[in-house]
Amino acid sequence: MAEVTTLVPLLVVVPLAVAVLLTATSHWLPAWVPDLAAILAAAAVTAMSVVLVVATRTHPIVYWFGGWRPVHGLPIGITFIVEPLGASLAALAALLTTASLVFSWRYFEEVGHLYHALVLAFLAGMVGFSLSGDLFNIFVWLELMSVAAYALCGYQVHQAAVIQGAVNFAIINSLGTFTMLMGLAMVYASTGQLNLSAIGHQLSANPPGSAVVVGFSFITVGFLTKAGAVPFHFWMSDAYAVASAPVGALFAGVMSDLAYHTFARVYWDGFAPGFGVHAAAVIRGVLLAVAVLTALLGAVMCALQADLKRQVAFLTISHGGIFFAGIALLTARGLAGSTLYLITDGLLKAALFLSLAIVIKGLGSSDELALHGRGRQRSQVLPMAVFITVGLGLATLPPFGTFLSSALIYDSPGYGWLPPILVLAAALTSATVLRSTARIYLGWGPAHDPLLTSRKPDEPEEGEPEESETGLGLRTRLWLLTPALGLVLVAYGVAFTPSVAHELVSAAAALQHPQATEQLVLHGQQSPPPVVGSYAPSASAWAYGGSAAGGSLLLAALGLWWRRLGRRVEGVALVLARGLKAVHDGSVGDYAVWFAAGTTVLAIAWTGLVR
Amino acid sequence: MSRVRRRVLFFVPVGIAMAAVLAWGLVGLPSFGLPHSDYARYFAQHATGQRHTTNVVAAIVFDYRGWDTMGEELIMVSGVMGTALLLRSTRGEEHRAARDPVTSELLTWLRPGMIPLVLLLGLWTISYGYITPGGGFQGGVIGAGAALLTWLAGSYQRYQVLTPDPLVDAAEGGGAFVYLAVGLAGLAAGGTYLHNLIPLGTTGDLASGGTIAVLNAATGLAVAAGLVLIFHEFLEDYTETVPDVAAEER
Repeated sequence: MAEVTTLVPLLVVVPLAVAVLLTATSHWLPAWVPDLAAILAAAAVTAMSVVLVVATRTHPIVYWFGGWRPVHGLPIGITFIVEPLGASLAALAALLTTASLVFSWRYFEEVGHLYHALVLAFLAGMVGFSLSGDLFNIFVWLELMSVAAYALCGYQVHQAAVIQGAVNFAIINSLGTFTMLMGLAMVYASTGQLNLSAIGHQLSANPPGSAVVVGFSFITVGFLTKAGAVPFHFWMSDAYAVASAPVGALFAGVMSDLAYHTFARVYWDGFAPGFGVHAAAVIRGVLLAVAVLTALLGAVMCALQADLKRQVAFLTISHGGIFFAGIALLTARGLAGSTLYLITDGLLKAALFLSLAIVIKGLGSSDELALHGRGRQRSQVLPMAVFITVGLGLATLPPFGTFLSSALIYDSPGYGWLPPILVLAAALTSATVLRSTARIYLGWGPAHDPLLTSRKPDEPEEGEPEESETGLGLRTRLWLLTPALGLVLVAYGVAFTPSVAHELVSAAAALQHPQATEQLVLHGQQSPPPVVGSYAPSASAWAYGGSAAGGSLLLAALGLWWRRLGRRVEGVALVLARGLKAVHDGSVGDYAVWFAAGTTVLAIAWTGLVR
Repeated sequence: MSRVRRRVLFFVPVGIAMAAVLAWGLVGLPSFGLPHSDYARYFAQHATGQRHTTNVVAAIVFDYRGWDTMGEELIMVSGVMGTALLLRSTRGEEHRAARDPVTSELLTWLRPGMIPLVLLLGLWTISYGYITPGGGFQGGVIGAGAALLTWLAGSYQRYQVLTPDPLVDAAEGGGAFVYLAVGLAGLAAGGTYLHNLIPLGTTGDLASGGTIAVLNAATGLAVAAGLVLIFHEFLEDYTETVPDVAAEER
């Protein structure tokens, strides 16, 4: 095991070292070196993460930086806890980064070394964020990925919309991280510990008071803001709409949703032992409410967009709600399903975002209505096939990866009302992808729709590099499509890894056993891995999966031809849509007020957790 | 009712409720001066003995929690790179020779003394960072202040001559790389990442603290160079608003 353990720091250090070396030597490097070096670094992180996923199947690795092991159960240094779930997410982040870097090699005409260095710093932040077992250290990696993301988002800074999107992103996310830092300080002041297991140990000995409860609420708000949960989600559509395709693929594919998973780790190791069993119902209720609201509002807003990037942004919000529902159930299957969903769905969303670039650059717009029928060319058959495949994958088409993930959530005990809601969210969001695909590539449905926000024809495309001539050569098109195709294949195929569901459920069960983690982290004592039964989706899960896939086709048709339902339906729909859109108006002041309201409601809802 | 008005009306009750919740939480904090936590007590008792540094904060920052500091340093480097990425893409390519004469006699008079003094203060704050209060972050900021003074009391052209881009980039990236490399050396020697390899020396000497001294110096270099780069980007933007020499001669 000694050799495998060495990989743990390298996951973070390799991308960072390449990033700073590129900065230091940029003046003397030929232009292809940053591209190649960055791709190799990201690919190396992917490979090392996969090795760690396999190596930690039975026992997690606890890595103490600087060799500072705990002294009589008192943690002195900082630890990474590598277990299969966190390591899989690191692998996802690294794989998407590799694909994004391969894509950008041909996509940008000129991109300096700073771009590559920031992408690698972003990757290192995401990996550290997924593996760290220390509350302050998690905050450090969150900050690193945020700082890199702000700059990457605003890359095409000479366009006004890009500045607005990136500034909204930076302000609301900074509010989130400040709130989290404040909560962290309150927890540290109360417990005197930063290590998650040590916090958990302290809180089970000294029951949490008001400072810990408010601190926990504030920490939760920090994670939910990064994740884009309602009502902290407003920045996401503005930021994603202006991010260039390779950056947007990373944002939508992995950045936001990682926060849900890290929240789960922080809750289970740090706070679950102190709050105890009686509080679990209160926590579960609040988290489920946030999750359901996020899944539904995101799905409805997704269906109301004509801009393809904004569709992906709201799809990401909505599906984040679905992942969060799995986490909020506080069951091993729910958490395992959520993690697998995050991975398979993330691969599909990244592929979707990368493919959008081919639409925007090749057909000259990112507006579904403006592109009506413009994709009816032989050269567009392959992109259309990618969109349909991604759309059906997002609709949890059985028996592929997203289906297996959602089935794990559906098959969690209790809460029978939850699966239909999640099915609806998945069906409505994927229907939007299928709807725009049909409109663009087949010319189905009208070219005008009062429900959809459409840009004026003279507005420039946001966030993408400007090009001298429109249209792409065949070789460039193939180069750009290849990463997306690879991601789709992995997303579809991952469910067929032998006993993947079983392995994930047992890893999730181990993660939800904080006493065993505490023994391992603070005293170095391994416990036997929890015994969980084998898993196969139940009949009802198959029915849910089938209805999501079927429903997405029906809803796509409805989205194209809904105006045939008559004037009364149209009137009601328009009023509702206008109300929802008025709230999402791009004004950062409004977003900040929603943020404050959400923070307050969450903190008040949890005041009862004091013991 | 205007939008802003509605927003404020909505925010007032929200803000009051938020303040109330926060106050309730803060009241629950342990009182000031209560017994330290085990974590704090451990460092107060053992840091100097274990690390041979008289500045316990430096021992925590560059050793016990050196992994955090590595992340923090990279946050700063990323912030600098991000600022450079955004500002550079908005600027024209052509080199400008801005004319920004110093009009303050006081500044001209102070120049010969101030710049070396500030630079020395920066270097001193860095190099004694693990013995007396100070450290790489703080000293790096002061040192960068000396570079800024060459512009403030001299000219932008002089600032450019003294801080050529390739050198500053190399210092920034190199400083951060040394930090990462010290960690890797621990790994290569068969220990863990950031394991202290260098002899700890005599407490209170400049040659003490082992890797703490190296990491502290590397941080100072990266921070100073990072700030110089940021100043450079801001000054480039600023000088675009100043009439340049060529324009005046025309």
